[in-house]
Amino acid sequence: MILADRTWQRLRRIPPSYLVFAALLLTLWVLRPHMMNPNILGIFIRQIVPLGILVLGQLLVMRVRSIDLSGGGVILLINYYISSGLFPGASMMTFIAMAIATGLIIGTFNGIMIAKRRVSAVIVTLAVSIVLVGFVQYLSSGKPPGDVPAMFAALYNTKLLGVPTPVLLWIALTLLMSLFLARTVFGRAVASVGENLTAAHFSGVAVERTVIVAHILAGLMAALAALVQTASIAVGSVRVGLDLPILAVAATILGGVVFGRGEGGVWGPFFGVLSFALLFILMTTLGVDEPGKLIIQGFIILLAAIFYGVRSAKP
Amino acid sequence: MSSPMASLVEMSNIAKAFGGSIALKSVSLALTPGSVHALMGENGAGKSTLMKILAGVHQPDAGEIRIKGERVTFARPKDAIAAGISTVFQELSLLPNLTIAENMFLGREPTGWLGTVDYPTMNQLAERALSELGLSLDPRTLVADLTIAERQFVEIAHGIKADANVFILDEPTAALNAADVEKLNRQIRRLRDAGKAIVYISHRMDEIFSICDTVTVLKDGELVGTKPLAQMTPDRLIAMMVGRELKDLFPPRAAELGDTVLDIRDFRIDADAKPFSLSLRKGEIIALAGLEGQGQQKLLRALIGLFQPAAGTVSKGGTALPLPASAASGIRRLQAARIGFIPEDRKDEGLFLGLPVSHNITMALHAGRPSLALAKPYQREIAETLASLQVKSAGSEAPVASLSGGNQQKVLLGRYLAADMDVLLIEEPTRGVDIGAKSEIYKLLRRFTAKGGAAIVLSRETIELIGLCDRIYVMHANTLVGEMPAREATEHRILDAALVA
Repeated sequence: MILADRTWQRLRRIPPSYLVFAALLLTLWVLRPHMMNPNILGIFIRQIVPLGILVLGQLLVMRVRSIDLSGGGVILLINYYISSGLFPGASMMTFIAMAIATGLIIGTFNGIMIAKRRVSAVIVTLAVSIVLVGFVQYLSSGKPPGDVPAMFAALYNTKLLGVPTPVLLWIALTLLMSLFLARTVFGRAVASVGENLTAAHFSGVAVERTVIVAHILAGLMAALAALVQTASIAVGSVRVGLDLPILAVAATILGGVVFGRGEGGVWGPFFGVLSFALLFILMTTLGVDEPGKLIIQGFIILLAAIFYGVRSAKP
Repeated sequence: MSSPMASLVEMSNIAKAFGGSIALKSVSLALTPGSVHALMGENGAGKSTLMKILAGVHQPDAGEIRIKGERVTFARPKDAIAAGISTVFQELSLLPNLTIAENMFLGREPTGWLGTVDYPTMNQLAERALSELGLSLDPRTLVADLTIAERQFVEIAHGIKADANVFILDEPTAALNAADVEKLNRQIRRLRDAGKAIVYISHRMDEIFSICDTVTVLKDGELVGTKPLAQMTPDRLIAMMVGRELKDLFPPRAAELGDTVLDIRDFRIDADAKPFSLSLRKGEIIALAGLEGQGQQKLLRALIGLFQPAAGTVSKGGTALPLPASAASGIRRLQAARIGFIPEDRKDEGLFLGLPVSHNITMALHAGRPSLALAKPYQREIAETLASLQVKSAGSEAPVASLSGGNQQKVLLGRYLAADMDVLLIEEPTRGVDIGAKSEIYKLLRRFTAKGGAAIVLSRETIELIGLCDRIYVMHANTLVGEMPAREATEHRILDAALVA
């Protein structure tokens, strides 16, 4: 009886994304076996890399019981100033530096508002996103979107050892985040704050600082996601990346990371993102059109939210 | 004991289980008219369950209740009230947005000829009930505007005015000051002289001895015994409650003390309070005693920045700790000065219940290092702490939530012992743990001070403070009103010191 309980407990701790990923892979293999080709899969997975990177920030803030919905605005802003031609002659490194600075500034603002001013995380980050989107629309009004410097697209299309470079970047960042959370003092602080904020405070954890740093890193991840996204579409757009934050929340929950609890670690959400990639492949090859994809996407987010409710009710 | 025939209420062989846990095992209690019967026992001994059965809140699994010799069953609280049993429970159950009178007559308001509430009559009746208790409160006052003590009194008035024969008072004095306690005692004596039976639940020895005539002690859901109080002493009563002699529970006090390690000077909790100073020496455990909420907790929480005192200086080993401390970083600064603060509520403020024992023990150690540093495994510290605390768990990776209360408390203590603090500020060293674990925790604290540590302890249990500590400071009205060596202290002396001031 106890043994069965333990097994069940262990099963319950497996992030749902692993199961979803396996099920989708099996479905794809049965229905469209010709799609099971590393090159084709690689191209699809490459498309999902911006989401994958954004998720790394999302899982971090969700583990300290916060949330970051500002990623959409950050991605749009960075995409805009790379593609707008406002900075003629700027090198790729300059753009990367600008993007990172943007991410850090917005992350810091979010973090301070949430940790020090105690403003609702949803409201702060959503408002920041809306302000950024409005700002970009104001700047770009009447002007056609420009092109992204060719270097970005060139880099985006490279491969290393047969794997697209963006995918490698994603895997490397995930590894780094995994090690960072598992091995550093900061990682312990994140686990503590997520489990019990008051107890974290009483055991000497700098709770405010932990939440602020989590948001700064989430801003950084949004900036990196923006760079990859911009490179992938190679043009400016006023719509790019707006649905990514909510997808990132869904993938994170699917990966077993719910507010304050991090049983899925970093790899649960990683497979959550891969599940989204497989789902897109499946829907595309089955001929589901855009509205259909949107509906299915919505349902998955809904399911993830329901799942979160079930899990948090039984701690 | 009086003969069964003379009993007003007779509960015999009452048993009650909640799910798998047994709350009462064959407990009998007889209440005689004109008697104040103390019901004592540790938390979880079954006092409240027994009283809730008598009040019709719970139904017994076995046993019977007789009132004036007739067998009764109470399916709901209303039945018990109809049978003349009136209860004042510990939890305040008044509605803050109604007036005193509205609360007192809730559900049975006097009505006028149109069926509307007859406010003049209701207020008059309420005023009379209040004045019988010696209270001059306007019955039209909103309960929200009353002090906690006044609310408690209204609650009591509410219970007493019903025309009952049996009164159950469950810790009625927890929020009352001495003058109010005396007012209440007068009422209790009046009820007793009128031939009512009163059950009085309290943890305060002096109250029990001053007002009660008989005592029944419960332990772990079983009846230990019923005795006339005239034959009892506080020590014997405690021995009955804990099942062993008090002196066996506590380790010996400090043999010798070192230098002053913590010095609190000219401390003013708020602008109206008198300033005071106190000091703590190496090897010493001092207590902040007195009635509840007299500034003891404010003093400790001021040191960690969760309360802003009006004035004062604190120094540790000659180094000043600036006051007021910051709420965000006060604990970190204190820990850097090797002073640990152990909060009273281990579930909400202390432990990470879902995380492993190892994480709970090492977090204060980790927190003292830079964020980006690699986390040390601290395996030696974990193993040593678990061994010295004798924590019973399924290994250091088991979640703390899977441990018993006593072991959880030890893990919490272990966090600060592992972090190698010089001074511990402890709000409730043994809250909600059983007597065996208590005794072990006392030994652990003594071992900590024997190695040069020092501690300031607060506790709701004065007996614990007397047995555990070397010196006792008595606080009242946000200031220090007395100091005595623990070996000379009694609950009575502490209360005297608090109330004479």
